[in-house]
Amino acid sequence: MRLLYPFLCLLCALPVFAGEPPDLAPVKKWLAKQDELHTVQADFTQTRSLRALRSPIATPGHIWFGGSDTLRWELGEPAKTIVIRKGETYFLIQPAKKKVERYKADSIARHGGAMGFAMMNFPIAKDFADFTRQFDTLAVSVADNRCHLEILPRDAQAKKMLEAIKIDFDTANGHLLAFELATRDGSSMRSDFTNVHLNQKIDRHVFDYDFTGYEIVDGKN
Amino acid sequence: MEKTKLRWIGIVVALLVFTGAGLSHISFNVDILKLLPTQLPQVKGLSLFLKHFAQPKELIVTIEAPTPEAADAAADALSAAFAKRPDLVERAVSHAPWEKKPADLSELLAYLVLNQPPEKIRALAASLSREQADATLKASMEKLGESISPQEVALLSYDPYNLAGVLNDMGFLSNGGQQSGFSSSDGTFRIVYVESAHSFANYKAAIAWVKEMRQLAHSTIPDQTIHLGFTGEPAFMADISGSMEWDMMSSGFATLLVIAFIFWLCYRRARPLFDLQAMLVLIFTLTLAAAGLFLNQLTVIGVGCAAIMIGLSVDYGYFVYQRSLRHGGSVSELQRQCVRNISWTSGTTAAVFFALNFSSLPGLSQLGNLVGIGVVIGAIVMLTVYARLTMRFHRREEARPPSVVERLFSTPGFWQKGAVFSAVLVVFLLGVLVVKGPPPPDFSARTLRPRNSEAYIALDRIYARLTDDRDMLSLIVAGKDEAEALKRLRTAEASLAAAEAHGDVKNSRTALPLWPVAMNQRTNLPLLAPLAAEITRLHGRAVAAGFKDEAFVLDESIFRQWAAWSTAPTPIWPANETSRWIFRRVASRDDGQFLALGMVTPMPGHEDALAARVQSDGAWLVSWNQLGRELRHVIPREFQHIIIALGAVVVLLLTMAFRSLRAVGLFIVTTTLVLACLAGAMSLLGMSWNFFNLAALLLLLGTGTDYSILLLLALTRNGGDAPAAQRELGLVICLCAFSASAGFGTISWANHIGLASLGQTCALGLVIDALISLFLLPRVWTLIHPKRQAA
Repeated sequence: MRLLYPFLCLLCALPVFAGEPPDLAPVKKWLAKQDELHTVQADFTQTRSLRALRSPIATPGHIWFGGSDTLRWELGEPAKTIVIRKGETYFLIQPAKKKVERYKADSIARHGGAMGFAMMNFPIAKDFADFTRQFDTLAVSVADNRCHLEILPRDAQAKKMLEAIKIDFDTANGHLLAFELATRDGSSMRSDFTNVHLNQKIDRHVFDYDFTGYEIVDGKN
Repeated sequence: MEKTKLRWIGIVVALLVFTGAGLSHISFNVDILKLLPTQLPQVKGLSLFLKHFAQPKELIVTIEAPTPEAADAAADALSAAFAKRPDLVERAVSHAPWEKKPADLSELLAYLVLNQPPEKIRALAASLSREQADATLKASMEKLGESISPQEVALLSYDPYNLAGVLNDMGFLSNGGQQSGFSSSDGTFRIVYVESAHSFANYKAAIAWVKEMRQLAHSTIPDQTIHLGFTGEPAFMADISGSMEWDMMSSGFATLLVIAFIFWLCYRRARPLFDLQAMLVLIFTLTLAAAGLFLNQLTVIGVGCAAIMIGLSVDYGYFVYQRSLRHGGSVSELQRQCVRNISWTSGTTAAVFFALNFSSLPGLSQLGNLVGIGVVIGAIVMLTVYARLTMRFHRREEARPPSVVERLFSTPGFWQKGAVFSAVLVVFLLGVLVVKGPPPPDFSARTLRPRNSEAYIALDRIYARLTDDRDMLSLIVAGKDEAEALKRLRTAEASLAAAEAHGDVKNSRTALPLWPVAMNQRTNLPLLAPLAAEITRLHGRAVAAGFKDEAFVLDESIFRQWAAWSTAPTPIWPANETSRWIFRRVASRDDGQFLALGMVTPMPGHEDALAARVQSDGAWLVSWNQLGRELRHVIPREFQHIIIALGAVVVLLLTMAFRSLRAVGLFIVTTTLVLACLAGAMSLLGMSWNFFNLAALLLLLGTGTDYSILLLLALTRNGGDAPAAQRELGLVICLCAFSASAGFGTISWANHIGLASLGQTCALGLVIDALISLFLLPRVWTLIHPKRQAA
């Protein structure tokens, strides 16, 4: 999990634009709207364009966000990889291997092992001040209610690995439309969100998982 | 006459040869472990660590810049500048070698797979067969789509046949990805590793090389906002040796000055003062020459002895001079009068110090030998040469009036007030001891380091900015060959697993995944080497499964590496630059010894239990903090034994000298009182006991006791007349005490924290000893010998 770190650090950055400074008003508005987010449910398709592959790999997934510190993220159909966050603990579940890796949230944040978890982090910053503290903004463009934001974490190690984090969101309702990690080797990992439901009641059992018969180990960052 | 002249010329020439030969052999050993008992597991383990993993030729240059870009540019500029000086630098590394040559990692990967158990390798070989290759590639492709581990995705996309999948722990492969040994996470702190082109012949060569490197670095990076630091073994050697040399010379010189001042104050005579100074320089030089010829490298404790020797030897000079003032006879008569006192005092002192050889502490043995040799040389020089010079001077000089100090010492009121003052002081210090208790022990690594050292400052910056491993323990496993080391590594790994289950360990990493397993290699090579012949087929299937040509490069070079090793003798070690860089901190193969290094983070407070659980034959779990804990148990016990043994020797010698049990009893009481008052004074001043100032007790036993011995001998000689004994020896003892205190006092400012504490403790102890011996001992003698006093 050590190499997760550079990716995770992507979450922490702010704007560096040599010429005209980008207009961050839509971002400010979007981040302010995130305060109104209590729950989120969405389907997504994750597309991995790896430099070593001739064509991208697309995998469907689903996410449930139940307020701060509560999350379920699944990849594959049926799910091959599941991440559940409960309070300060992340559980990375691999049903096929009957294996669970346990991570402390603060340890992930500290050691950067969380990069793999970055794709499922809501919200990406507490507020605009936190956003500018963590990220450099590379570009902002708006077309037809769709804002395209490109940012880069300020963290030096993350910068070494990453070309950009690309986020698309709906300026009208604040819906996250796409989230992409672009690495310097030319690869990328993009999630396109569909069927987004905001602030709808989620069955709390979604965030439970029966670990009977599973091997549970502490994950190494 | 001619014969005598020739004899003197012969002696002088012999002394010159002796001195020249001796001084040219002087060298310093900055290794603090050389002071400690070699049989202690911590000392043994740390010595192995320093010998095999400390990189004696490697200077670590630290760079702190305002921005990551500035730090990066400075690191590159420095490594380029160093690389341009092949006369000084073998190599300068500012980035992990695999960052520049990632392809080099294929050798390491090939090696690690080769090391795996044969059943895993049989499964791997099967997964590459014509029947299973496509399924293997499909599984890799699925994993690439599902894994949330960027590490796994990054590696697997360039390892379509998942050769690395047989390795359980991939952590070591990713070290360069996050905070590495080269850069802090924010990138503003960087490190450049610089290896010297030559080994250092001595400490002066290390000092000169480090100086050149500093100049080169500062001229390359003149920007004041970028701060450079220098640490690593050569920097430590330069810093510590340099300060040891300075401490030795400056304390010796300062002692000479103080002695000159005291002598002038008391006697106001220039010629005997110059003669005395010349004698002290002669004694110091001869002793140092003897040390160079007969002792090993000087340690930090030995350095402190320069001032101590001068402080002690001058005692005999004072005694000779004081006696010469009232002597009207020949030189040989003066020598005869002085020889009894000087031989008893120097004899007991030398005996005490030579007896330190029975200690298991090599540092103390060296201290004992140095001071013992110095004291004997001092006594001989003062009796043979200085006595002759003083008499020659007195014959030429007319009688002189007594000085102010001499008059003061002959006043009864001075002795009375002195006794009251000393009694009050003793009561006060004993009160402090009762109220505050004895000084606490401090055997931490702090006392083993210099007060001011740029190398330590830079190291502290590495702890603060890069990685702090001070709470970690190093697991050192040694064996006579790879197989023995492997066996012990497995035992240690099992012990660590048990300790982890027991809650003693937070986490651990041993060199086991990297250690060669010859048997596995021999079994696996026939399975893996033929795969090179299948490269075309395997490449074709990978491309057909959706991988690009470049995705197969890593696997292809691994197949070729196995083929290249097919005829190599086992055990096989990886050998390219990247592998060597990774292995240099985890494995060592020097001098027919095979060592593996691991790191263990213990649960706080469980260090002792953990060490006991893991340490076994050929395996040590060590750290400087753990050494401190071990010393805390061992050293006080060791010193207790030494002090009892030396006390017994002194008492035996004194029984022979005094032939009076009362006198011996009085001596024991005086010495006990001095030690108790010293403990009180140390508590009052907030001092603590450490390895170095415990040695001060031995020094006090050897030196401070002289005052009470001289007084007791004078009392016996004067028929128990205390005032007469005080008049006879008061001034001499005062001079001796002040000179010796000055000697110790000058090392109180030594750069080495432990050595400075030794100086402070000894200076304090000697003053207390002189006060008690001079002012209180004669009074007590009068009390317990009323009849002799009346007579």
